[in-house]
Amino acid sequence: MLSQTVVKRLKEIVGEKNVVTDKVGLLTYGYDGTLLSGEALGVVSPTTTEQVVEIVKLMNEHDIKLVPRGAGTNESGGTIPSQDSVVISFTKMTKIHEIDTENFVAVVEPGVINFDLQVELEKKKFYFPPDPSSFKASTIGGNVGECSGGPKCFKYGVTRDYILGLEVVLPNGKVIQTGGRNFHSEPGYDLTRIIVGAEGTLGLVTKVFVRIIPMPRAKKTMLAIYDKVEDASQTVADIVAAGIIPTTLELMDNLLINTTEDFTHAGIPRDAGAVLIIEVDGYPEDMDGQVKTIGEIASKIAKEFKVAQSAVEVDQIWTSRRSAFGSVARVRPSYGVNDITVPRSNFPKAIGGVLKVAKDFGVTIGVVAHAGDGNLHPLILFDQRNKEETETVHAAEQALCMMALDLEGTISGEHGIGLVKKKYLDKEFTPAAMEAFRKVKRSFDPSNRFNPGKVIDL
Amino acid sequence: MSNVNISMLKGIVGDAFVIDSPSEMANYLKGQGKPAVVVLPGNTSEVSSIVKLANEQNVKLAVGGAVADTQGITGGIAMVMSRMNQILEMDHMNLVAVVEPGVLHKDFLLKVTEAGLNFPPEPYELETSSVGGCFAIGDSDSKSFEYGPTRTFLLGFEMVLPTGEILDIGNKCIKNVSGLDFIHFAVGSQGTFGIFTKLLVKLLPAPEAKKAVIGTFASMHKANATFNTLIKRNVLPTRMNLINASLAKNAKPGTEGQFVIIDLQGFKESGKNIANEVAAVLTLGGGSDVKIIEDEVEYEQVINGWLKVRADLNSKPEQTVEFAVGPMKMPQALTQLEALTGDLGAYPGVIVEGLLGFVGLALPEGTDKLDLARKVNKLAMSLGGNVKGLLGHKLKAEVYNDAEMWKQTASLLSELRQQFDPKGILNPGVSLEP
Ligand SMILES: Cc1cc2nc3c(=O)[nH]c(=O)nc-3n(C[C@H](O)[C@H](O)[C@H](O)COP(=O)(O)OP(=O)(O)OC[C@H]3O[C@@H](n4cnc5c(N)ncnc54)[C@H](O)[C@@H]3O)c2cc1C
Ligand SMILES: Cc1cc2nc3c(=O)[nH]c(=O)nc-3n(C[C@H](O)[C@H](O)[C@H](O)COP(=O)(O)OP(=O)(O)OC[C@H]3O[C@@H](n4cnc5c(N)ncnc54)[C@H](O)[C@@H]3O)c2cc1C
Repeated sequence: MLSQTVVKRLKEIVGEKNVVTDKVGLLTYGYDGTLLSGEALGVVSPTTTEQVVEIVKLMNEHDIKLVPRGAGTNESGGTIPSQDSVVISFTKMTKIHEIDTENFVAVVEPGVINFDLQVELEKKKFYFPPDPSSFKASTIGGNVGECSGGPKCFKYGVTRDYILGLEVVLPNGKVIQTGGRNFHSEPGYDLTRIIVGAEGTLGLVTKVFVRIIPMPRAKKTMLAIYDKVEDASQTVADIVAAGIIPTTLELMDNLLINTTEDFTHAGIPRDAGAVLIIEVDGYPEDMDGQVKTIGEIASKIAKEFKVAQSAVEVDQIWTSRRSAFGSVARVRPSYGVNDITVPRSNFPKAIGGVLKVAKDFGVTIGVVAHAGDGNLHPLILFDQRNKEETETVHAAEQALCMMALDLEGTISGEHGIGLVKKKYLDKEFTPAAMEAFRKVKRSFDPSNRFNPGKVIDL
Repeated sequence: MSNVNISMLKGIVGDAFVIDSPSEMANYLKGQGKPAVVVLPGNTSEVSSIVKLANEQNVKLAVGGAVADTQGITGGIAMVMSRMNQILEMDHMNLVAVVEPGVLHKDFLLKVTEAGLNFPPEPYELETSSVGGCFAIGDSDSKSFEYGPTRTFLLGFEMVLPTGEILDIGNKCIKNVSGLDFIHFAVGSQGTFGIFTKLLVKLLPAPEAKKAVIGTFASMHKANATFNTLIKRNVLPTRMNLINASLAKNAKPGTEGQFVIIDLQGFKESGKNIANEVAAVLTLGGGSDVKIIEDEVEYEQVINGWLKVRADLNSKPEQTVEFAVGPMKMPQALTQLEALTGDLGAYPGVIVEGLLGFVGLALPEGTDKLDLARKVNKLAMSLGGNVKGLLGHKLKAEVYNDAEMWKQTASLLSELRQQFDPKGILNPGVSLEP
C-alpha cells in the first residue's frame, strides 16, 4: 500500500483523476497480453515530461519502484507489477507534436497509439513501417519498449530501424535526449539503440522521434495455398533465392486457416495445410515482373496461387491474418503466444520442431509465422482453469524455446523477454553476454528502480 | 606506465608477429603517438591473451584494421587485425556473411558483389578500412536513406572485451529482440567496449540494375534546388549527392562547377523511367552536361569518385565540420552557411548528401573549428538539425543552456565505458568528451 503522503503528492503532481489506488481500478493494470498477473501499489498517468520527472523523484525519495506501461498488450509479462511497484501509465501522453513529411520525421508522445499515428500519416500519404498486429491498440512507447516487429520486417526492418531519437527520463530523475531528427545525432554511443527494446528497464521514454517514409506507390498482395506447411517454406526459400525482397511473407497453418475462416470467410479452403500471404511493393512498373516470378515459384508447389484483384480482396486477406491470435479463442478458452525465430534456412526444421512439441506434449498448437524472417508464433491452445494442462503448456513452451536455440535461433523475435522468458535467457546467452547486459543496466539504473525483475536481474 | 613485455607478446603470437623496430612499425601506424610495439594476432584467443596481458601490466592498447591510430598509446601496444582476414562463410539462404574483422572493407565489397549480394555501407577510408572498423565506427552514409545506417547490417559478433574475456552474441536471425540490444549498441563504440574478432554481417540481394545520373551546376544553390524538386516529386534515389567545385575535380577529373551524382539502385524497369525523370529535373534546374550512366565501368568510376571525396573528408576529422538538417531545409541551410563560409563553390570543400540533409565542410587552413562548429550548430538547430555526433550533442546542450543535460549524458557515457573497461585500457585515443 502506498502511504497517504505519497498518494497525496502523486495527486498534486498529476491531478486527482490521474492516480488510481482502489482495488478495482488497479486490477486492469495487473494484466498484459500474457496470462500472468500482479498487483500494483498504484497507477499514475502523467501528461508531461515534467510530471514524469517529479514522479521519478518522488518514488526515489520513498524507494518505490516503477513499472512503465503503454497499452499493456505485450506478450512477455513486461508490464506486470511483479514486485511492490507503482505503474506509470503513458496512455495520457498522446500528443502528436509534429508530422514533418518533407523531412521524414514525426515527433510523438509515447502514449500515441500506433494506429492513430498511421491514420494521421496516411492523410499525407506517409507511414511508419513498424506495424505489429496489435497496432490498433499498442502505443509507440510500447513498440519502442519491445522493439516490436510486424508483418513488414523482411523488407522494412523492426521498430529500432525507425527510431531516430528519444527523450528519456533516467532512473535518477534527469532528462536526456538521445539521437535527434536524423541519423547523425547520437552522442558517442548509440544510446537510442540500447533503450529501444530495453522493455522499460533503462529509462522512461517521454518523446519519440520516428522516421516516416512515403507510402509505396504500388503494392501487390498474393495468396498461395498449400497442402503441407513444408511446401510453403520451400516457396519462401525460393523467393529469397530469386533475389526478391517481399515486404511480407506471412504463413498460417491449417488450424489458423480454420479459426480465421470462422471469422472472416475469406474463402481459403479449410482443408489446406498452409497459406502464405505474399506482398511486394515499390514502383508500379516493377510489380508485374516480381508478381510473375513469385507466381512461377509458388505455382511449382502450391495448389493454388492468386493475386488479389481489388482493395477488398487485399483487406480480406489481411483481416484473416490480423485476427489470427484472437480467432483461436473459440477453440479453447486460453492460448499462449510463443515467439521464436530461427535463421530462415532452418524454418522448415522449426515447423517440424513445432509439430514434434505438439505431439510430445499432447497439446494443440497452431502456427502463424513471419516466414521470411524465420519468426514463428506457435499458439498453444488450452484451458487455463485446468492446472495440470497449464503446466504441460509451460513445459511445451520451454521446449519450443530450446528447439529454437538448437536451430541457432533466438527465444524472442519480437515480443521480448519480460518475465516470461527471463528464465531461459542464460540458455541463449553466455555468461559474458549476460554480464554485458548487467553492465548496461548498472550504468543506467544502479538501484534497479525501473521495471525491476524484467529481462535480467542485477 | 609499466613497459610492454615484448617477450610475453612473442610467446602469444610468435616472434614474427611482434614488431618493435620503429621503421617497420611505421607501416602499421598513423598519428603522432609512439607505441612500444605492434602486434598482429592470428585468432581470437591470441587477441584475448594480448588484452589480458595489457590489463595485467596496465598498458594501453589501440586496435586498427590495417593501420592503428597511435593517439594515446605512447609506450603501449598497437594491435593490427590484418592477419584475421578471412571471410568464413557466405550464406546465401540467410543472406549473412561471417567475417573476420581484419578483412578490408574494399575486399569484402568485391567478394560480396561476386556472390551476387549487396553490402551497402560505404568504406570510411578506401584502402585501409576494415570490416571490423566499419562497425566500430558505425556511421551512416549517403546510402542510409534507402538501406539504413551501418548498424542495420550487424546481426551478431564475437568480441574480446577490455578485460580479455570473450563475448559471443547474436545469430543469423534478422529479427531478434532477446536480452538488451548489445548487438547494435556495440556498433559505433569505436573499440571502447571491446575488439571485434568475428562479425555476423547481414547482406541483401544485389539490386537488379544500377544507374547514375550526373550533371554540373554553376552554383551550389541551383544544384541543391533540384534535390528539393526530386523530393517533392517523391523521387527518392539511392544516393543524391553534391560536391562543390573545389572538390569536384577529385571526384571526376576535368569537372567544372558543382558536381551532382544521383545513384539509382533498384529494378530495371523503374530505373529507366526514374533516370529520365532525374535527368529532366537536373536539366530544367540549370544543370549542364547532364548524363545518364548505364555503363558498368563508368558507373563504378563515378561512385568511386564520390567515395574518394568522402574518404578525404573522413581522414581529417580535425579539419571538418559536419551537420545535418531536414533535407528540405537544405536551401536555407546553404544560404545561411554562405554567410559564414563565403562562396560555397570556392570553399575548400563542401559535400551534401541530399537525402539525409547532411553537409560536410572541409575547413580552410587555420580555421577555428570549434568556433565555426558552434555557429553552424546554431544554424542547423534553427532548421531542426544539429552538428554531427557527440560534438553536436554538446553544442546543442550549450544552446539550450542545459548544462544539466550535457552533464547527464557525459556521465552516462563515461559510466558505460568504465563498466566495460574499468582500467581504461582500450583505444584511449577515443574521447567521449569533445
Ligand atoms: C493480438 C496481439 C497481436 C500482437 N502482434 C504483435 C506483432 O505482430 N508484432 C509484435 O512485435 N508484437 C505484437 N504483439 C505484442 C505487443 O502488442 C507489442 O509488444 C506492443 O509493442 C506493446 O505495446 P503496448 O503499448 O501494449 O506496450 P506495453 O505492453 O504496455 O509495454 C511494453 C513494454 O514497454 C515498456 N514501456 C511501455 N511504455 C514505455 C515508455 N513510455 N517508456 C519506457 N518503457 C515503456 C513496458 O514496461 C513494457 O516492458 C501483439 C500482441 C497482441 C495482444
Ligand atoms: C570519431 C572519429 C574521430 C577520428 N579522429 C581522427 C583523428 O583525430 N586523426 C586522424 O588522423 N583520423 C581520425 N579519424 C579517422 C580515422 O583515423 C580513420 O580514417 C578511420 O578510422 C577509418 O580508417 P582506418 O583505416 O583506421 O579503419 P579501421 O582500421 O577499419 O578502423 C576504424 C576504427 O575502428 C576501430 N577498429 C578497427 N578494427 C576494430 C576491431 N576489430 N574491433 C574494434 N574496433 C576496431 C579502430 O580503432 C578505429 O577507431 C577519426 C575517425 C572517427 C570516426
